[in-house]
Amino acid sequence: MSFLEIKALTKRFSETTAVEDFSLTVERGEFVSLLGPSGCGKTTTLQMIAGFEQPTSGSIILHGRNLAKIPARKRGLGIVFQTYALFPHMTVEQNVAFGLEMRGIPEPDRRQKVAAALDLVKLSHLAKRLPKAMSGGQRQRVALARALVIEPELLLLDEPLSNLDAKLREEMQLELRRIQQEAGVTTLLVTHDQSEAMALSDRIAVMQSGRLMQLGTPFDTYETPKSTFISNFLGKTNCLNARLVSTTGTASTLVINGIEVSGPSVNLLPGDVMASLRPERIDIVESSDGHTEAKVLERIFLGDQWLFRLETKLGELLVVRRNRGRREAEPGENVFIVWQPEHLQILPASRESA
Amino acid sequence: MISNGRYSLLFNALFTLFMVGPLVVVIGVSFTPTGYLEFPPSGLSLRWFAAILDNPDFIDAAWVSLKLGIASATVSTIVAVPAALAIGREKFSGREALQALFLSPLTVPTVVLGIAFLRLLSVLELNGTFVGLVLCHAIIITPFVLRLVLSSVVGMDRSIEKAAISLGASNWTVFRRITMPLIMPGIVGGWVLAFITSFDELTVTVFIVNPSTTTLPVRLFSHITQTTDPLIASVSTVVILFTVALMLLINRFYGLDRLLMGETK
Repeated sequence: MSFLEIKALTKRFSETTAVEDFSLTVERGEFVSLLGPSGCGKTTTLQMIAGFEQPTSGSIILHGRNLAKIPARKRGLGIVFQTYALFPHMTVEQNVAFGLEMRGIPEPDRRQKVAAALDLVKLSHLAKRLPKAMSGGQRQRVALARALVIEPELLLLDEPLSNLDAKLREEMQLELRRIQQEAGVTTLLVTHDQSEAMALSDRIAVMQSGRLMQLGTPFDTYETPKSTFISNFLGKTNCLNARLVSTTGTASTLVINGIEVSGPSVNLLPGDVMASLRPERIDIVESSDGHTEAKVLERIFLGDQWLFRLETKLGELLVVRRNRGRREAEPGENVFIVWQPEHLQILPASRESA
Repeated sequence: MISNGRYSLLFNALFTLFMVGPLVVVIGVSFTPTGYLEFPPSGLSLRWFAAILDNPDFIDAAWVSLKLGIASATVSTIVAVPAALAIGREKFSGREALQALFLSPLTVPTVVLGIAFLRLLSVLELNGTFVGLVLCHAIIITPFVLRLVLSSVVGMDRSIEKAAISLGASNWTVFRRITMPLIMPGIVGGWVLAFITSFDELTVTVFIVNPSTTTLPVRLFSHITQTTDPLIASVSTVVILFTVALMLLINRFYGLDRLLMGETK
């Protein structure tokens, strides 16, 4: 039996269904992200696990304990909120000690645990500060220390990094991962930020319209998305309308915009499909020999890489190229592009244009 | 910094003059040595301040007003805080109606309220009693408390309470340790505003007092209708000084901005 088992969880509000038939198992110590756009039901799922929303049906079993009848305050979960939700009238120390106080832990033990938690998040020197006198990143750490000090069986993180600026967010990602592993706590993260989910998690659960669409490691989910929605949501991609002509055990043939292209073997019936090609899998070359012609429409310099928008016979394509400190093709210039057939992802044609 | 234009500066100056002018006149008049109201005073005398001590009914009335203000502000706060919590954050049918009901004393003409209270108190057999006064004042001043508490309730991040619950706090603990301290500016601000409103109330009170429960505004009013000696000016000056002292005290320990704006941070 897994550490956390969510079975067929469903939440209906009077007119809408926020979460439908959501099942997920999480192993002890694992870091799993619920990833999806706003309104996909990820936050509602978190709220149900936390005990702030009652499921319409389905069950949540944590360490063999069915949470259905257990009120939020007795679930013993550590929660970090998007707004941090620190107690503004209490010092850092008092914030962190609150959960221990509620558990009736005697003063000397309490002080020791608070000190250890603040040490874990590297904030020992600010113990007497009030939250309003701290930066976003520091508040974030206080919230984390407060959630971890009660030694929760499960740590829930609700968009914890979304209020930080980009640079700080990257630092906190590494920090969050370190703290989670040091504490060894099973963690569920809710986020709409795919890079955050990929950087932090052991596994990602992609949600759309209240349903679980795909579950897997960040690498697998990125490399073999099950739909164009996921392919678009996790990183950038070029989505092209295509027709699958034939597929064998080793390869397939497609027609994109009247051009015949080969791709990997796929478990789909011939007909309309979507072909997805990641921008970083396309290479720009100078020799023509059998490669596809392309014209640079636009290019953007991003520091560590270049982003090109190319006009090709297949359609417009985005191409990302690592900055190697060399001259790159300029707008208006003609170039050639090449990619490995197996990097073409063939996905069922979707009705929603994501 | 945006500096004010010439016209808005003039406007502000006139406005301030208009607000402060009457107070200056009242204070000036109270120092007159003469037996009639004159401004500017022809001399400087504490004669009319001494006269307050010869009129114990003014002092009694001031005590009644003080006790009435404290009691009714407290009663209305006790009613308004739970009401504000319910109205500010729960969704239930009749929520709008409840809010309108609590705020209605602001929209009903005070004369009408006075007559209504007079009838109500005779039905309850509380006519002219201190309890009756507290009851009526509490009703009149509840809207002030409700509005200030409501604004701090609505401005509060509810996930702070959720955080406390997730850490194991019971509902009562959450209220006592988290919610109440965070809406305290609204509660204190509402209480003070309610106290001042009660202390100042005349129109309704005139209908429901009897000689033993006469409040200071009612006493002043009936004094003016009989004579026009500077005693009313000296009593008013004492009240003004009392209010200023109260405000300074609040500012010292609490901050007037916080009180009047209901700011929570």
